[in-house]
Amino acid sequence: MAGIGARVPVAGIVFGAALVALWEGAARSGLVAPLFLPPPSVVLATLVEMATSRDLLYHAGVSTARVWTAFLIAAMMAVPIGILMGSYKLAGRSLEPTIDFIRYLPVPALVPLAIIWFGVGEETKIFLLWMGTFFQLVLLVADDVRRVPHEYGELAATLGAPKARALADVTLPAMLPTLWDNMRVTLGWCWSYVIVAEIVAADSGLGFVIWQARRYFKTPEVMAGVIAIGIIGLLTDQILRALHARLFPYLTR
Amino acid sequence: MSHLVFDAVTKTFQSRTGPIPVVEPFDLEVAKGEIVVFLGPSGCGKTTLMRMVGGLETPTTGAIRLGGAVLGKPDRRRGMVFQSYSSFPWLTVEENVAFGMRYRGDLGAAEKRDRARHFLGVVGLTEFAASYPNRISGGMRQRVAIARTLAAGSDVLLMDEPFGALDAQRREQLQVELRRILEADAKTIVFVTHDVEEAAFLADRVVVFTRRPARTLALVDVTARLGAHRDLETRDSRAFFELRSELLHLVRSTAEDT
Ligand SMILES: Nc1ncnc2c1ncn2[C@@H]1O[C@H](COP(=O)(O)OP(=O)(O)O)[C@@H](O)[C@H]1O
Ligand SMILES: [Mg+2]
Repeated sequence: MAGIGARVPVAGIVFGAALVALWEGAARSGLVAPLFLPPPSVVLATLVEMATSRDLLYHAGVSTARVWTAFLIAAMMAVPIGILMGSYKLAGRSLEPTIDFIRYLPVPALVPLAIIWFGVGEETKIFLLWMGTFFQLVLLVADDVRRVPHEYGELAATLGAPKARALADVTLPAMLPTLWDNMRVTLGWCWSYVIVAEIVAADSGLGFVIWQARRYFKTPEVMAGVIAIGIIGLLTDQILRALHARLFPYLTR
Repeated sequence: MSHLVFDAVTKTFQSRTGPIPVVEPFDLEVAKGEIVVFLGPSGCGKTTLMRMVGGLETPTTGAIRLGGAVLGKPDRRRGMVFQSYSSFPWLTVEENVAFGMRYRGDLGAAEKRDRARHFLGVVGLTEFAASYPNRISGGMRQRVAIARTLAAGSDVLLMDEPFGALDAQRREQLQVELRRILEADAKTIVFVTHDVEEAAFLADRVVVFTRRPARTLALVDVTARLGAHRDLETRDSRAFFELRSELLHLVRSTAEDT
C-alpha cells in the first residue's frame, strides 16, 4: 500500500522547496519589508517556539475539537437524512428546496445572527460550523444514494430484503467509499469556518491566535498560525485517505 | 404441468408524449424446469416482460402466475441475474453467494455457510471464495450471480442478457456450464438475449418477439429438435445450424420491416 511518502511526487517536493528558497531569498534581500514577508526560517522558528514554549498546541487542540464536534454532529444527522432523501422521492422533494436555499447562505454572514442567538460561547462556533457542513453534506449524501446502481436494490428485493434492510445492507455499503470522500472534503471546509468563527467571537483557538498576532503586527506569528492550520489539514486528509484504502480494499485491483 | 403462466400480460408506459405500449397481450405457459429464451431486437420489451416476472414492474393488464398464485412484489422465489452490477463489489465471492440466503430465516448460520460453499463448487469458484468481484473476470462474476440465485433457492431464475458483456469464447463456455448446472439442479429459467446463437443453444423453447410493442412472432420448440442434452458438439450439428438460421431469419424479418 502506498504510504504518504510514495504519494508525494519528487517534482512536487522540488517545486515546493524552490518556492520556499525564493521566498527566503526575497525576504532576506531586503526587497520586501519583513513586516510584510518575514523569511520562512523565521516563521518556522516562530512556529516551533509557539508550539514548545507557548500555548499554540492548546489552541490547535481547541480548534480541532470544535471542528470535529461540529462535523460529527453534522455527519450523524446528514447521513440518515440524506439516505432518506435519496431513497424516498417524497422526502427528497419536500426537503431539497429548503436545504438548497440554506446551503447558499454564506457562513460569515450568519455570524452576527449566531452571536445574537447563542452569545459568544462554544454554541456559536458549533452552530456556524454545523450550518456550513450539514446542509452541504446532506445533499451530497442524497446524491450518492441516487447514484447507487438501481440493480443493487433490485437484487436485494428479489432476495427477499425489506426496503429498510436493503438500505442498510446494500445502499449504505454501496455508497460508503464516496461518502467517505465527501466527508473528507466537508471536514476541510469546517476548518475555514472555524477560523472565521474564532476570529470574530473567541478567546481561544487558532483563529484567535492569528487574529491576536495581527493586532500587534507579529507577522511571523500570523504566518505560523496559518501554517499550523495547513499542517493539521494536510495530516488529517492524508490519514483519512490512507484509511480509505484500508476500509475499501475491494476498490483496488 | 404449467408452473409459470403469463396470462394476457400487457405493459404500457406513460410518458410526457403519451402512452408507450411496450408489451402487447402476451400468453405463455412455462413448465417447471424449462428454459425459455426471450429473443428479439433491442428495445422490443424483453427486459420489461422479465422485470414483470421479477415483480420489479407491474403488468398494466393481465397477470403472471407462479404455481397458481398471482405474482406481486419481488421475493426470493424469482431470482435475477443482471448483465452488469450482478454482484456486490464490497463482498467477497463467498459472501456474495451467501447474501442470497441473508433473509432466509429457515437456515442456520452453519447451513448457510455449507450451502454457499456447495454452490461455489457447483459454479467452479471454490478457489476464488475470498476474492473480491473486481479481481475476477466478468465471466466469473456472472457465475457468482448464478450461484447466489441457486443458493437463495429461487424457483425461477430470471437472466437478462447475463453473458452480453463477455467475449464470444467465455460466453460459449458459460452457456455450456449453465446447461450442465441445470441438468443437475432443474430450475425454471427465463433467459433474455438478442443473440440468436445463444438462444438456440440454451433454450428448451424460444419466444421470438417483434419490434416494440413486443408481440410473439414465433414460438420455437428447441428441445424437440436438438434434444435436452447440450454440449460443445451441439453447435456443430446440422439441426443446430438449421435452427440458428431459422431464428436468424425470424429476427431479421422483424428488424427490417419498417
Ligand atoms: N420505465 C420506463 N418508462 C418508459 N419507457 C420505458 C421504461 N422502461 C422501458 N421503457 C421502454 O420500453 C421499451 C422496451 O424496453 P426493454 O424492455 O428494456 O427492451 P429490451 O430489453 O427488449 O431491449 C424501450 O423502448 C424502452 O425505452
Ligand atoms: Mg433489455
